[in-house]
Amino acid sequence: MSLAIDAPAAAGPGTDRRVQARRLTVVLAALLAGMSVFSLAWGASGTSLWGALGDLAAGRELSRLDRIILFDIRLPRLVLGVLVGAALAVSGALLQGLFRNPLADPAIVGVSAGAGLAAMAAIVLGTALPAAVQQAAGSYLVSIAAFFGSWIAILVLYRISTRGGRTSVATMLLAGIAISALANAGTGMITFMADDSQLRDLTFWNMGSLAGATWAKVFAAAPVIWLALLAAPFLARGLNGLALGEAAAGHTGIPVQRVKNTAILTVAAATGAAVAVSGGIGFVGIVVPHLLRLATGPDHHSLLPNAGLLGASLLLAADMISRVAVAPAELPIGIITAVLGAPFFLWILLRRFGSMGI
Amino acid sequence: MSVLSRLYLGLNLVIAAAFAGHMALADPATRIVSVGGSVTEIVYALDQQHRLIARDTTSVFPAEARQLPDIGYQRALAPEGVLSVAPDMILAIEGAGPPETLDVLRAAEVDYISVPEDFSAEGIARKIRTVGAALGRQDAAEALAGQVSAEIAAAQAAAAKAAGGAPRTVLFVLSTQGGRIMAGGADTAADSIIRLAGGANAVTGFAGYKPMGDEAIAQAAPEVILMMDRGGDHGIRTEDLLAIPAIQPTPAAQNGAIVRMNGLHLIGFGPRTASAITELNQALYGGGG
Amino acid sequence: MQAYDIRVTLGRRAILKGVDFEARPGEVTAIAGPNGSGKTTLLRAMTGEVPFSGRVLLNGHDTAAMKPWQLAAIRAVQPQSAAIAFPFTVLEIVRLGLRAGLAAADSDLPLRALAQVDLAGFAHRFYQDLSGGEQQRVQLARVMVQVWEPVRDGVPRWLILDEPVASLDIGHQFTVMDLARSYAARGGGVVAVMHDLNLTAMFADRITLVHAGRVAADGVPAEVLTHDTLAQVYGCPVPVNRVPPAGVPYLLPQARAV
Repeated sequence: MSLAIDAPAAAGPGTDRRVQARRLTVVLAALLAGMSVFSLAWGASGTSLWGALGDLAAGRELSRLDRIILFDIRLPRLVLGVLVGAALAVSGALLQGLFRNPLADPAIVGVSAGAGLAAMAAIVLGTALPAAVQQAAGSYLVSIAAFFGSWIAILVLYRISTRGGRTSVATMLLAGIAISALANAGTGMITFMADDSQLRDLTFWNMGSLAGATWAKVFAAAPVIWLALLAAPFLARGLNGLALGEAAAGHTGIPVQRVKNTAILTVAAATGAAVAVSGGIGFVGIVVPHLLRLATGPDHHSLLPNAGLLGASLLLAADMISRVAVAPAELPIGIITAVLGAPFFLWILLRRFGSMGI
Repeated sequence: MSVLSRLYLGLNLVIAAAFAGHMALADPATRIVSVGGSVTEIVYALDQQHRLIARDTTSVFPAEARQLPDIGYQRALAPEGVLSVAPDMILAIEGAGPPETLDVLRAAEVDYISVPEDFSAEGIARKIRTVGAALGRQDAAEALAGQVSAEIAAAQAAAAKAAGGAPRTVLFVLSTQGGRIMAGGADTAADSIIRLAGGANAVTGFAGYKPMGDEAIAQAAPEVILMMDRGGDHGIRTEDLLAIPAIQPTPAAQNGAIVRMNGLHLIGFGPRTASAITELNQALYGGGG
Repeated sequence: MQAYDIRVTLGRRAILKGVDFEARPGEVTAIAGPNGSGKTTLLRAMTGEVPFSGRVLLNGHDTAAMKPWQLAAIRAVQPQSAAIAFPFTVLEIVRLGLRAGLAAADSDLPLRALAQVDLAGFAHRFYQDLSGGEQQRVQLARVMVQVWEPVRDGVPRWLILDEPVASLDIGHQFTVMDLARSYAARGGGVVAVMHDLNLTAMFADRITLVHAGRVAADGVPAEVLTHDTLAQVYGCPVPVNRVPPAGVPYLLPQARAV
């Protein structure tokens, strides 16, 4: 990727990293635009975006198959990929700022597992809710449940791992493992209670995939993720201040408690919605912010928007691999992000052990 | 990238050619995707395999079927993957999905035939008739259904005779992941085939495939343990199975009564069910009856 | 800045047992005392970092009723030590003291502040790569940027420093204390927890000597730093203004003209 070009020399960044970050934003926006076109143009079937555009330009009707492949399969999948990728990367950056620690990732610290448990519970137990509630929640039921699931998971994690404004990395990772284990136990319980058709829904959902992208899913996730992405930039100054420590941040005029609460809610909303529509997709939240910090520094004013852009591009790229690797079948995208991301995570972990310890 | 793009180009050419062929023929479905092991078997039994262009992961019999492109697991079908083989009909066992994919496929005006699943002789006959009707081979299907029903009835009668009114209890073990036994309860294909073959399901407390506790297994005291033979090294070795504490005290373990059969043959509920009944019955009560 | 009847209990132990404190703008006020006397706790109570009972007034307003940004506009607090979570550069850390943080418009204040703490040329180095003493001076530059003008709109502003010279060499001890003096001389208020009694004697206008959670003495250095008071507070004889026996070298910062 072109990121390495802007990376500072080991001695320290020579020029103002804000300028580099702004340039990077432009580059990443162009990258995302390119990936989007690529993603629309590329699929298992022979439908060609260019052919379709040519037809439209010439005033010809598209064939029904082309229309379906472009507008009901690839386009919602593209939009969902952008939303989920941006949501996961920004959630990762927010969590890392909140915990003052670059290893926090929604999937690693159990937030995704919490969202997953709640979403699965909604799928299986949702039918037991009063009809009026089901009616009101509609297709949002799973998203709403996932939001509360991830919210509770973050609150628990924060309470366990943060004492007096300081987060212990070891405690955070261990608490994450414990929360994941607990959520997985709950998931097992739900699976046990599920009937055969619900089990099918769970199986598919569990794999982590954008293959089920439909406009209904896009509309269920988009408002929540959009709100979260809108809220994130307002947290930038607060999270920068938090890097100094909670007390010091407060003395620079940052309403620490409010920043923390808003960050937790934002992460819960973004992760919850992303998990609800795409299952468990890991490591985007850790890889993307880390690369960006290497390139242009930890300033959240540029980190958060750039993470959104790069996260979206990365997920589109992973999705394209998932579509063509074993075509006409598909590889679950969660497997691809894990294969790419897990070694990266280990690398960060080892580097941290080497330099400053945990 | 270059390998991928060359692949992509090649794929496009193949598909363009396929589309061209498709346009020329029209009407009776000639580009069929078969989803579900038993459905594919029926298509072959009706000698209509030349109309198949792709299959799902579970369609592994007869061996030639494996040559067809694989569109993935029947419950996790990707819409564009399925459409990419340019099908004009999808013959799918009940329960294929996910529903989002089915919606798109229907919208794309691909004929989608859902084949009802029912673990009984009548269910198999209904599957055959459904597939036959979809293929426009009603007469052949009627004949096949009659033949299969008769074979099953004969196999079942022979099996009952072999059992001699004292059915042996059988525990169907789906998997043994981490020493945890997933057993087949009521309303499963395993339950049906055990009863058809003159045995009795050792599990009576629950429906579906569920993890079963050690004591519950000991108490169920199965005389025979039935497993799927997955081939290769996927299946658990007999000595490992016997080492599981829950299995050890059962009469089946003490007598070494472990039966393995090919999964699709055993619980596929396709045209070969009669031979599955006979094979299982012989495994339960000894060859020759 | 006044504090009345400050009491702090951590766990079941009473750390501060009713402390009154006053600092005036235009002066450097030092809080001194032996280890464990509660001097740092007093500072943290007055800045709201530890729960306390009592009242703290800043320019006549009760700090408990003020919002973080209102406080931040008239008071900056230098922490004793500060590990930073991410690879920020020195300049970025100092810019965090600006009102809008890193989003602030360009300003030459951060670079001027760095020059004042003798870190000109360090702006683009990574904070994490600096020594403890250098990090401490970066933090000082940051808090100075936050309340750059000692008086704004006729209202004095405050620098609160927690052991600002703890890990500095003697040259930089002077650099830092000179900055504090200059800030006070221009009308601002400076409150500093101090460990070094000689430096305190030299730079403080007033000293509050804390001992066992209470104020042991309070006043100008000449009143507070007496042999009797120090001997009682520190539990050992502390001769004041006496030359050591012949042959022992000794350093008196005071020998430098203030």
